[in-house]
Amino acid sequence: MSPGGGPPPPGSLSVTLRPRARAVSWWRTPTARRYFFGYTLLAPAVIYVALLVGAPFLFSLYLALSDASVSAPIAHFVGLENFKSALENATFYTALRNSILFTVGAGIMKGLLGTTLAFLLLQPFKGRKIIRALVVIPFTLPIAVSVLGWKWMFDSQFSVINWALNRLHLIGAYGSPDWPVWLGQPGLALLSVMFVNVWRGFPFSAIVLLAGLTSVPPEIIEAAKVDGASFLTRFRKVIVPMIAPILFIGSAFDTVFTLSDLSIVYLLTNGGPDGATEILPTLAYNTGIRGGALGRGAAISLFLFPLLLPAMVLLLRTLRRRQY
Amino acid sequence: MSDGRSAETASPTLDRRSFLKTTGALVAGASLGDMLLARQAPAQIKGTSLRMLIWSHYVPAYDVWFDKFSKEWGDKNGVKLRVDHIPHLELPARYAAEFAAGAGHDLIYYAGQILTGQYFRNLVDLSDVAEGLGKKYGGWLDAAKSAAQVGGAWYGVPDYFISIPVLWRKDLFASVGMGEPKTWDDLRKAAGALKAKGHPTGMQFSHCNDANHNWRALMYCFGVKETDPSGQNVTLDSKEMREALKFAKAMYDEGMTPEVFSWDDASDNRFLASGVASWIHDAISAYHSTRVTNPKVFEQTFVVPEVAGPGGTWNVGEPNVWAIWKFSKNVAAAKEFIQAIGDSQKDAMNASLGYNMPFLKGHYTKPMPYLGNDPKLAKLQDQEKITAFLGFPGPMTPAAQEVVTTFIIPDMFTKVARGAAIEDTMKWGVGEVRRIYAKHKAS
Repeated sequence: MSPGGGPPPPGSLSVTLRPRARAVSWWRTPTARRYFFGYTLLAPAVIYVALLVGAPFLFSLYLALSDASVSAPIAHFVGLENFKSALENATFYTALRNSILFTVGAGIMKGLLGTTLAFLLLQPFKGRKIIRALVVIPFTLPIAVSVLGWKWMFDSQFSVINWALNRLHLIGAYGSPDWPVWLGQPGLALLSVMFVNVWRGFPFSAIVLLAGLTSVPPEIIEAAKVDGASFLTRFRKVIVPMIAPILFIGSAFDTVFTLSDLSIVYLLTNGGPDGATEILPTLAYNTGIRGGALGRGAAISLFLFPLLLPAMVLLLRTLRRRQY
Repeated sequence: MSDGRSAETASPTLDRRSFLKTTGALVAGASLGDMLLARQAPAQIKGTSLRMLIWSHYVPAYDVWFDKFSKEWGDKNGVKLRVDHIPHLELPARYAAEFAAGAGHDLIYYAGQILTGQYFRNLVDLSDVAEGLGKKYGGWLDAAKSAAQVGGAWYGVPDYFISIPVLWRKDLFASVGMGEPKTWDDLRKAAGALKAKGHPTGMQFSHCNDANHNWRALMYCFGVKETDPSGQNVTLDSKEMREALKFAKAMYDEGMTPEVFSWDDASDNRFLASGVASWIHDAISAYHSTRVTNPKVFEQTFVVPEVAGPGGTWNVGEPNVWAIWKFSKNVAAAKEFIQAIGDSQKDAMNASLGYNMPFLKGHYTKPMPYLGNDPKLAKLQDQEKITAFLGFPGPMTPAAQEVVTTFIIPDMFTKVARGAAIEDTMKWGVGEVRRIYAKHKAS
């Protein structure tokens, strides 16, 4: 149309402007639909994690920064005072050291025993199915029942372990200096609680590993054998790389469960004697719940977070690199 | 204008409001008095329901009696009653959860770990019930106030306490030329002489309830005061505490074996029943269980309420206290139940085999139920004169409770027994206790 409003001059390019098409909303594009579908599928998991992990974590952070007690509905902000208080507490350092020893020591033992057991259970033998079912019993028993059983076995006077060792002439009689007091001697007490954690947890490690091992195609193992690879070389260079994702996830779970395990220590020694088995969860529980100082208890338990976070980040990053 | 009523009936200083107040109080007092005499609960609780949370008693027969008593009380008063028993160590976590939720049991119970000071702002003032019971049964022991009063008001009603006496073997003591122990020194000498004969003694150097009681009994007998009577200022740093630690170290070296570092609350019961122990410091549950498991040892086992130290004779009891949440939906019935159980202390003592020690002075009239009928236990009939509670001479404040739950006192004794220097241990222990009290003061 000419500026004057008449017909366009000859030779001019005619451009017809259609009425502006209604902009197609990005939300209606196939990409958006795909995103929407994907996020919808993801939403339950995100909501679940946010409600069951995120909210309690934020709540414990709120408690740790306040003077909350079990009987005060309204708490006041105290900044980092509770963390400072934990760092001023000599028992805290004992608990921190024991927590690291407990987690690392038990983790290594569970790894070794779990691997050995997994390979044993992989071999064909008569009654394998029954044995496979039996080995998971420690893991499936209610923790209170199994730990009380161990408490009896570690009893200072009536320990069946000591009785057997005495019969084998490996230790002296009850009352003699070389009669072990499993839950009473500092080193032994920590070893004993670690042992129960290992006893309870290594079947889980074995089952996780077994699941990984059975997923390795036998022809690859056979090919490695034909190439002359020894058992250790096959394990290190073929099996471990192939089952690494399962191993990482299993290790991550085990680290979290071991570091935050309250029940075994609480039921066997309650952190005693003289803090020999005190770990961060027992100290946090006795301070925060039994002692009523929720804020200080929460601060102690939050020290687990910086311990766990680097380990988890490292594991997950390694896992992601392997996926690509 | 006269309305025909006598002028003398209305005092010029007594207005309508005062008149109603006075007569109301008189009527209420009279009704309560009548109710107490008749043990008849008021009609308004009929048709209601009541939930209570209580521990699982060490003497199972007592729980049987208690549940029966509760059911009969509920039936008689038309109250639908539900009694939940859980282990005493789980009670604090349960109360924290109930308080946070603002819902739970109507009537609650503190066993050993007394949380009156912690929760009193959220508990019903039970002064009317406590003072009524006190008046009726000759008054409360002084120690009762430590467990149930805050600022002069009763936020709990003491039910009973558990005493933790000395259980000793007469035959073994006689074998080293000794008779009934009177002092801590006697116990130390006997343990030293008898350990050589295969009969050591033991008190828990570990993280358990008994460790908290037993070492405090020794401390208080040595004249140690954990705090001043107000419970606000820590007075642990004393010559007496150092002497108590020194004595405990000697007693451990001379008369115990390392197994005491691993003991729980029941280990000393088994130690006595096995025939090995020369003496133990424990509740009479050990006495009763030995009667069943080892009658020969039981025949030779005798009881001393407590032995004396340089600072006197103090036994550390474990109190048990009733309380009612403010959010309780049935305060009236809960109060009535406390009243009823308070009126049934004699039956309760019998049912607990003498384990439950009354807080009310009137119940110490001899012969006391059960205790008075057992010649060996009869000595416990004066227990009220020597009983103190954790935090003595201060009340069982939240700070005192935190010191108990973090096992600082047993750890001090453990460190010294294991060879730590007394001064280093004092520095650590007193520092920890002061830190806890300072935190509670600040908040």
